[in-house]
Amino acid sequence: MNGRGVHALGWLAGMGVAIGLAFVLGSYHTDVYRKMLIWVAMALGFNFLFGVAGQIAFSHFAFASVGAYGVVILSHQLGLPFGLAFVLAIVICGLTAFIVAIPATRLEGFYLALATLAFSQLVRVTIDEGGALTGGTGGLANYRLPPFFGVDVRGPWYTVCLVLLVAFTLWILTRVDASWFGRACRAVRDNPRAAEAMGVDIARARILVFVMTSTLAGLAGIGYAYVDNVINPAVFSLENSFLLLFMIIIGGSGRHVGAMLGAVVLYLAPFALEPVAGNHYMLVFGVLIVLAILFRPDGLAGLLRITRPGKAA
Amino acid sequence: MEDFLELLVSATASGCVYGLLALAYLVIIRPTSIINFAVGEWAASGAFVGVAVLSTLVWPALEWPWWSALLIVAAFGALVGYGTELLCVRPLVARGAPELSAILVLLGVLVIFREGNTLLFGASPLPSPAPFGFRRMLIGPFPGVSQQFLIIGATFGVFLSAWLFFERTVWGRAFEAVALNRKAAALMGIDLRMVGALAFAAGGAIAAVAGLLVSPLTSAHFLMGLPLATQGFTALVIGGIGRVEGALLGGLILAFVEQFGARWLPVPSGMTLAFPFVLLIGFLLFRPTGLLRAPETRV
Repeated sequence: MNGRGVHALGWLAGMGVAIGLAFVLGSYHTDVYRKMLIWVAMALGFNFLFGVAGQIAFSHFAFASVGAYGVVILSHQLGLPFGLAFVLAIVICGLTAFIVAIPATRLEGFYLALATLAFSQLVRVTIDEGGALTGGTGGLANYRLPPFFGVDVRGPWYTVCLVLLVAFTLWILTRVDASWFGRACRAVRDNPRAAEAMGVDIARARILVFVMTSTLAGLAGIGYAYVDNVINPAVFSLENSFLLLFMIIIGGSGRHVGAMLGAVVLYLAPFALEPVAGNHYMLVFGVLIVLAILFRPDGLAGLLRITRPGKAA
Repeated sequence: MEDFLELLVSATASGCVYGLLALAYLVIIRPTSIINFAVGEWAASGAFVGVAVLSTLVWPALEWPWWSALLIVAAFGALVGYGTELLCVRPLVARGAPELSAILVLLGVLVIFREGNTLLFGASPLPSPAPFGFRRMLIGPFPGVSQQFLIIGATFGVFLSAWLFFERTVWGRAFEAVALNRKAAALMGIDLRMVGALAFAAGGAIAAVAGLLVSPLTSAHFLMGLPLATQGFTALVIGGIGRVEGALLGGLILAFVEQFGARWLPVPSGMTLAFPFVLLIGFLLFRPTGLLRAPETRV
């Protein structure tokens, strides 16, 4: 069998297992599984921004909240048809990301992180002060996913939607990664001056990758909105943006498999650590982060590299 | 008028705390170019250690004067900074890793300190004793709480010594030389590792003292770190990383905009939380060098 066939088979098997899980899990585990899928989707997008393109931003959860609040406000508060609300929420996400990206992506290194941190705090304050429209600090509840083209998406089928969301995110990012644009992003990360000399428009590449990954975060946020049918500002807090960064670093930045591994391991770790560390699992994560950067800069995915040589990060 | 003067004292005191945090960032950034976001948590740890020394939290009361706690907290902060540099930053610098790796390691350190604080001191706020109590007093025409005047006085003391260190001592000039050109400084016989370690120790001490100073007004709380970190950084960006006095100027501007804006601007009270972030974004985008420029290169 050729490499392409193995690749396609791998995708099919992964999708099969991920979809199969949706139908066998009980209600508690379904909830855990769904949130894990959201984290994986978020991590994939953030990994492309941070690991592949080298931009460190703390705005990913702010864009997820724009998507989630966007769709809920448009469809349930303002009564638009769900399909229209869905598309509009994504458009709003993309536009906001574009407006933020034009000035912000000029900032170098960690200054971008702090500007986007400030942006996400502004989004948070806006939601807190949004009155009845956003539900303030209490958030929004008492809404449900409306039937879509007459189909009522419920139970395991909603989990399947989230699996498709992850698959879509992964598909689009691997496609972009393998393209000219993906190589341009890595070149801008590693050596902007050389990339520019090779004809890469650095500013455009930075803006494009920021808008693309932020919009994907918005999509994941929309997916999250119907997991609990509750959204509140705390869910999209800064702490989660930190956790997302930690997932990428521990998983192995710059590789999709690393992002997924990191998201799954760090999302599930608190459940395993609960008996030992109680609520202090973040302490364990902090130690892991320090150790990972000092001793294993390529993260968990680096352990896999032994089996798959020749793939550049 | 009374109201205005009282606000003036309170804004100046807050501005001094922000300025101290900005100075903690600055002494580390100047020679190493590393943004140490953990200084906010170090301030929280400083507050907790101070409370622990001054109260019966960990051992029977020592009945020591408040000033001894200040010294212990400063030494603790210096030790934390030095240890962090030695264990987490130096290996990366030695390996030639990009600055971003060090910044990310320090985010891990941030989480360790925050969780360590909760683990050791619990999640509820601890009251912190003030050396002169919480009397209201009048200095000249200025009404305020005694702790606010203490903060202002102590801050000016710290900034004066920092300024004297950078401008008047050989070691301070060595710091500046490293900030201007690492390679040339190393060739001139300056020990880069020593400068890095001292910078982190100084940053840790300043942050911890700032935490102890502000804690009587806010109580020592595990959530106090992140706001201090962002406000200190905003102050730094406003003032510019070029000069010591910029940190204080930035802190004062931030606090005045926050407090006078909240009092007089016609916006809902919740929206006033957005002021620092608007300032941070504005300065990063439109005046990334801050208000004060670095002094001309003098060789």
